[in-house]
Amino acid sequence: MRKPILAATVAAGMLGFASGAQAQDSFTIGLSNGWVGSEWRTQMIDEAQAAAEAWAERGVEVETIVQSSDMDVQGQIAVVRNFINQGVDAIIINPNSPSAFDPVFAQAAAKGILVISTDAEVSSKDALYVGIDQQAWGRKAGEWLVETLDGEGKVVAINGLAGHPANAMRVAGYREAFEQAPGIEVVNETNADWDQAKGQQAMKTLLATYPDIDGVFVQDGMAAGAWRAIEEAGKTGDIAATGEIRTDFLSQWTEKGYNSGASVNPPGVMASALNVAVLLLQGGELKDGILEGQYGNALYLPIPFIDDSNVQATYEQVKDEADYYSVTSVVGPDEAEAEFFK
Amino acid sequence: MSAATSGIGPRLRRSTWLLALGSALLLAAINLALQPSFLEPGVMASNLTTFLPLILVAIGQTWVVLASDIDLSIGSTVSLVNVVTVVVIDALGGDAAAIAAGMAAGVATGLGCGLVNGLCVARLRFQPIVTTFATGVVFAGLALMVLPEAGLPVPEVYWRGYAGGLFGVRSVVLVLAAALLLCLVIERTRFARALRASGGQMQAAYQSGVPVTWTRIRAYLLAGFFAALAALCLTGETASGDPLLGGAYALSSISAVVLGGTALAGGVGGFLGSVFGAVVLGLIGNVIFFARLPFEYQTLVQGLIVLAALAGGVLVARR
Repeated sequence: MRKPILAATVAAGMLGFASGAQAQDSFTIGLSNGWVGSEWRTQMIDEAQAAAEAWAERGVEVETIVQSSDMDVQGQIAVVRNFINQGVDAIIINPNSPSAFDPVFAQAAAKGILVISTDAEVSSKDALYVGIDQQAWGRKAGEWLVETLDGEGKVVAINGLAGHPANAMRVAGYREAFEQAPGIEVVNETNADWDQAKGQQAMKTLLATYPDIDGVFVQDGMAAGAWRAIEEAGKTGDIAATGEIRTDFLSQWTEKGYNSGASVNPPGVMASALNVAVLLLQGGELKDGILEGQYGNALYLPIPFIDDSNVQATYEQVKDEADYYSVTSVVGPDEAEAEFFK
Repeated sequence: MSAATSGIGPRLRRSTWLLALGSALLLAAINLALQPSFLEPGVMASNLTTFLPLILVAIGQTWVVLASDIDLSIGSTVSLVNVVTVVVIDALGGDAAAIAAGMAAGVATGLGCGLVNGLCVARLRFQPIVTTFATGVVFAGLALMVLPEAGLPVPEVYWRGYAGGLFGVRSVVLVLAAALLLCLVIERTRFARALRASGGQMQAAYQSGVPVTWTRIRAYLLAGFFAALAALCLTGETASGDPLLGGAYALSSISAVVLGGTALAGGVGGFLGSVFGAVVLGLIGNVIFFARLPFEYQTLVQGLIVLAALAGGVLVARR
């Protein structure tokens, strides 16, 4: 019973190639998520699935298969292998390693499967990256801190997971910003593994060790922890610190008047990647010279920024969502087609 | 129930691996039902590629557990071997000699980690859980020092060779066969008997002249060796270095060992059970994949199946 179906699929596929674009209107896309431990990731998947369903309005049926791993690279490679064995049209992955997927992505490409990574860049020549530039993310927030401190002051940094490529790029980004300002002195940099509680602890220790700091560079959920420690120390008005993008934090920010600024890494990146994937599967071609990044395979998405000027408006938009809902943005099919495609 | 000289219980206590084999076969049947292509050679090979590193790490963990010790640092050992191997290959220029030197450096690193653990636990009599937890943090820190960030590709011939084979047999099959053969040889040595004696009744073994300290050190050396072997396979699979590569292996290898029927109290069990235990864990991943569960439940269901496999083993063996 399987052979005829297979033959039909192959025939349909060939038909699709023969008539150029638009002929095939049904795709299966595997979504691989490297880690389940955060609401951001859950929202990322939810938004990607919603984007897939939205294609139905355009007469395109996009089926998604979602698989999660638990931080380990090898387990995620196994997921990709299973996607290949299953014969999906495209794989969109939030990868646990920048380079470890090279061989398995080569296998996927050999079978004609489109591979797109999101949120973290990969070195594979056989994959495309659709997401934000993490280094620009770090630089933007770093520049905000420099400007807010008028280029002068003692600063500490609380970073994510040592050895994680996105963390390394963000660190490179804020260092770049700080190097432009000779008056900024980085007195300490520590790691809190993107964990809110660890971020709070780290901030407490830092405040006890350096009571005279003026600024804090801290990422993602750790920012909520760090700000709590700043409040406990009674220094809310004296310290400028980067923030994050979840509703409950925005509520604190607006209510207590934090001096904060936050680069947005929207959970919608995977949905944007999915829209790009469907356009590519339909035969679309990317504009020439649009790919950037250290591996030359990156399609960078815009990075929204929240600061005093727009925090109130941003909060109004999301205040009815759950506490852990992150500010997001998705590049829709029309926008993607206009921006990225020939 | 009284003397329990007959029945399924005692036999299972002697051949502790039978239960894990049973669970593996059951899961393989479920996998086949969910994924009809399961038995195709290509799919079997890709599954073996996925399972092999955990199989090797679990074999390594088995020797240590048999001596009633434990190695929580084995995952960090895998990471450290991986980064040392790729850095050495890269530093020496990436030709055939460099690859050989890198692999040798990797194995030496694994043995070094095992030696440190063995000396601390057996010689200095530190508590095994705390000690190997601490050395694990040290090895992980060293891995970050050697290669601060994932990357640094290995030469193509390395991973193409690992994905390919020799004389028509796939590399992963050859590695598995070699590892099993080595285990069979080890099981025939005096060391294997001394190991079970040390694990069962350490005091009694010591008093009857078993070289307990040296035996425990050797168990840790074997753990380091098999961790290194697993790391070399992972290097072939991932074609690059990653200081966080091995993190998950400490606990999953212990799960595989226990699923395989080896007692954490030591003395009872063997490598074969751990092999099947690792296969069980791998197949659970597959079944979860092909059952198409909502992703929010995948981790939970995975945990529940592991728990069920463990509980089933205990209940059957007790009868």
